[in-house]
Amino acid sequence: MTVHETTDGAAGQGGAAPRSARALARARRLHALARFWRQYRSHRGGVFGLAVLVVIALLALAAPLLAGEESRSVTDATGGALEEPSGEFLLGTDQFGRDVLALLLWGTRVSLMVGLLAAFLSVAIGALVGITAGHFKGWYATVVMRITDWFLVMPTLVLAIALSTVMARSLWTTILAIGVTTWPTTARLVRAQTLAVESRPYIERARALGGGHGHIMARHVLPNVMPLVLAQTTLVISLAILTEATLAFLGLGDPTVVSWGGLLQDAREAGAVSSGNWWYITPPGLAIALVALAFTLCGRAIESVLNPKLGVSR
Amino acid sequence: MDRPEQHGSSTNPRTRRGRLRLLAASGVAAMSLTAGLATPLNPAPHEAEAADGGKKTLTVAVAQSVDSLSPFLAQTLVSTSIHRLMYDFLTNYDAKDNSTVPAMATEWESSDDKLTWTYTIRSDAKWSDGEKVTAEDAAWTFNTMMEDEAAATANGSFTSNFKKVTAPGPDKLVVELKKPQATMTALDVPIVPKHVWEKVDDFSKFNNDQDFPVVGNGPFVLTEYKRDSYVKLTANKDYWRGAPKFDELVFRYYKDQDAAVAALRKGEVSFAAGSPSLTPAQANSLAKADNIKVNEGPGRRFFALAVNPGARTKDGEEFGDGHPALQDAKVREALFTAVDRETIVDRVFQGNAVEGEGYIPPRFGDYFWKPSAEQKRAYDPAKAAELLDDAGYEKNAEGKRVGKDGKPLDFRILCHATDPNDKAVGKYLQEWWGELGIGLKVDCLDNVSDPWAAGEYDLAFDGWSVNPDPDFVLGIHTCAALPNKPKESSATDNFICDKEFDKLYGQQLAEYDPAKRADLVKQMQSRLYDTGYMNVLAYPNAVEAYRTDQIKSITTMPQAAGNIYGQDGYWSWWSAVPADDDAGSEGSGGLSTGAMVGIGVAAVLAIGAGVLFGLRRRATAEDRE
Repeated sequence: MTVHETTDGAAGQGGAAPRSARALARARRLHALARFWRQYRSHRGGVFGLAVLVVIALLALAAPLLAGEESRSVTDATGGALEEPSGEFLLGTDQFGRDVLALLLWGTRVSLMVGLLAAFLSVAIGALVGITAGHFKGWYATVVMRITDWFLVMPTLVLAIALSTVMARSLWTTILAIGVTTWPTTARLVRAQTLAVESRPYIERARALGGGHGHIMARHVLPNVMPLVLAQTTLVISLAILTEATLAFLGLGDPTVVSWGGLLQDAREAGAVSSGNWWYITPPGLAIALVALAFTLCGRAIESVLNPKLGVSR
Repeated sequence: MDRPEQHGSSTNPRTRRGRLRLLAASGVAAMSLTAGLATPLNPAPHEAEAADGGKKTLTVAVAQSVDSLSPFLAQTLVSTSIHRLMYDFLTNYDAKDNSTVPAMATEWESSDDKLTWTYTIRSDAKWSDGEKVTAEDAAWTFNTMMEDEAAATANGSFTSNFKKVTAPGPDKLVVELKKPQATMTALDVPIVPKHVWEKVDDFSKFNNDQDFPVVGNGPFVLTEYKRDSYVKLTANKDYWRGAPKFDELVFRYYKDQDAAVAALRKGEVSFAAGSPSLTPAQANSLAKADNIKVNEGPGRRFFALAVNPGARTKDGEEFGDGHPALQDAKVREALFTAVDRETIVDRVFQGNAVEGEGYIPPRFGDYFWKPSAEQKRAYDPAKAAELLDDAGYEKNAEGKRVGKDGKPLDFRILCHATDPNDKAVGKYLQEWWGELGIGLKVDCLDNVSDPWAAGEYDLAFDGWSVNPDPDFVLGIHTCAALPNKPKESSATDNFICDKEFDKLYGQQLAEYDPAKRADLVKQMQSRLYDTGYMNVLAYPNAVEAYRTDQIKSITTMPQAAGNIYGQDGYWSWWSAVPADDDAGSEGSGGLSTGAMVGIGVAAVLAIGAGVLFGLRRRATAEDRE
């Protein structure tokens, strides 16, 4: 590869010449992507999940246009308290007289953001721990994997509750609490893959040619565990969204931010469950379930495309 | 025993936000869901109480934890209410008009120098173990509180001015004072039996919850207690004022308010008060239910914003990190002028509250004071902006108020994570003050008592239950209530120390003439209002509900239109009359909206669980690789 790149530089002066390795690589990647998409398309569930996600992402982005800034304001609320669904308020109102549908739209942003960031944090920690543990072995791996095991046996929710109780209530606390409690699974997965990759002969060759630890982990192991990490991220997102909703429902979220779990918590505090105000409780619950389902479907599809060992399951 | 999660060691029954513990909070989720589900799907157990050999049981849903069953330590409202039932006090308050009526003492008089009080103790009262109640018991109780610091934990403020307490005869109690004390006919101290309590070694550790039945002389006798599960009392048939009509009184724990409401609908409990009260949605839906009466009365509580004026000790040592800008009276006035109390009453309490005025709730008519027209901080955002300009906090290009040091004006407000009203009002404050260009961070914590005692807040949501005698809620704003050491818990509310207020406080405590004393108390409230450290937002009503097919009648306090739970006496439970035997119709059949909601939530949960399960299974399969 390095050889090719030098020719690339030399050929540049020649003008025409074979369109260099970079172009070749690009074409190859495009081809791979197209193949990936073809296979992905064959998973009906995955396509459905993706469609749902696209719609929800668009709604989240368009929330300020669709619902308007003032719809979150309690002082500007126009409706009465806990009004039933009507032409004016399609999903009724909350206890402050705000439109539940508008709040639901705004909540999409928070749920998606927390889900994505927390999943990213979780997978980043997991990948880092997994790759280094798989690469360095020895006492380092032993210590790190015991820590991982410890986190693995700790109930995620209890740990997340403890974390978000001691820290100030904010979105970042929630993200951190989810991120640092859900990484062990990823770490174990990535470590196994790292061990498998590192036992291949080309790694030994790279090492013989003078490749250092950093080079091997970044240039050889990482690209090989990347598909796994990608699939894992998609799956962790749904877990993160559920956990965020749970924490907010338990009153451990930021009370000033509109989120789906927070809406459920507000509804519970208003006494909506015993008063039968279904329009306040059901929509956020269904939304959470739908998004979590969509991410799971996508994750499964990506996984079965990228990991031939899983066969043709859908 | 940990104190209720609130600041200050204090004396009186109060609802100051007994906090749910963390675990309870997490349990709440599951509970509220099961509440929704269980209600319509499970058939109600028919009148469990009637089955028990015809025993009439009154069950009350409560949420607040009992901090201790020792009258020397108990501070939460639920515990002090139970003590009212277990032990007689020297005097009681009339349910009609809060005036003092005889209880354990039948008569009382003060000497001419106002320093010696003589009480006549009734001769027809017995402890539940058969021993006679004598003046010696009362003398021993007060002396123990004066000698043992641990025994003074809960009610020490009543005895701190006592010089000597003696019992010259079985029916004569003599209290000598250092200075005149106006609260002598309002000594809210449970009198305990000497022959039982003198065996206790360490009052700071003894919680009075091991030996049942607990010896007492009140209308009820405590017979069983299980922490955060239930408290059971049986009627004292020999009570001198007359036996209670119900045979048994049970306080059963429902940590989640919606679960308590569902239990009330099913008839599992006879009474639910909510904590601090039922939400408007719950009250509205219960009002439509059969056999349920919703009772709404003026509350004993005030709900306020408290400013941290700069925490300090008695010696003047400063600590904490309150915002220095709040020491400027103009800034405080601007903040409070931008608060629309009417909107809070209308929108947050939905009319189930009275707009905040001075300090003491209007229910205590003798002491109620409202600011004069020119004194009043009426809602006026324009004036608030002007005040801030005057104080030197101009708006910058981004619309934020900036001080002379160039720092933007950002405050924190301490909020109780388990109180929906705090959070709701927090939302409004953020918007009102945001308009002014002031940032507000709403810090909702499960445990507010630590930052509170440490003075680590700018503003805070505050609230106290007020007794018929206002001495206690006024005392928490005196310099004497400040802590001895930084961050130590003390009686102070929010570190207010004002010489003029203290002078008036001393005067009212020594004033025996009710009218003159009331006048002094009003002057104190006026002074407190002018200092601008407290802004009473509302006096929330007590909104509670009971089953008319289980309780035929019950006394409210005040009798005309008052509350039932947390009275300044035992009138409600003592007077409650059971309904006729044949249990009324049990809830209607068919699927109610509650059921639909329950099923909806269950479906959502099932999907969520499916997703989680899928993830888990996949994860483990992958792990084996």
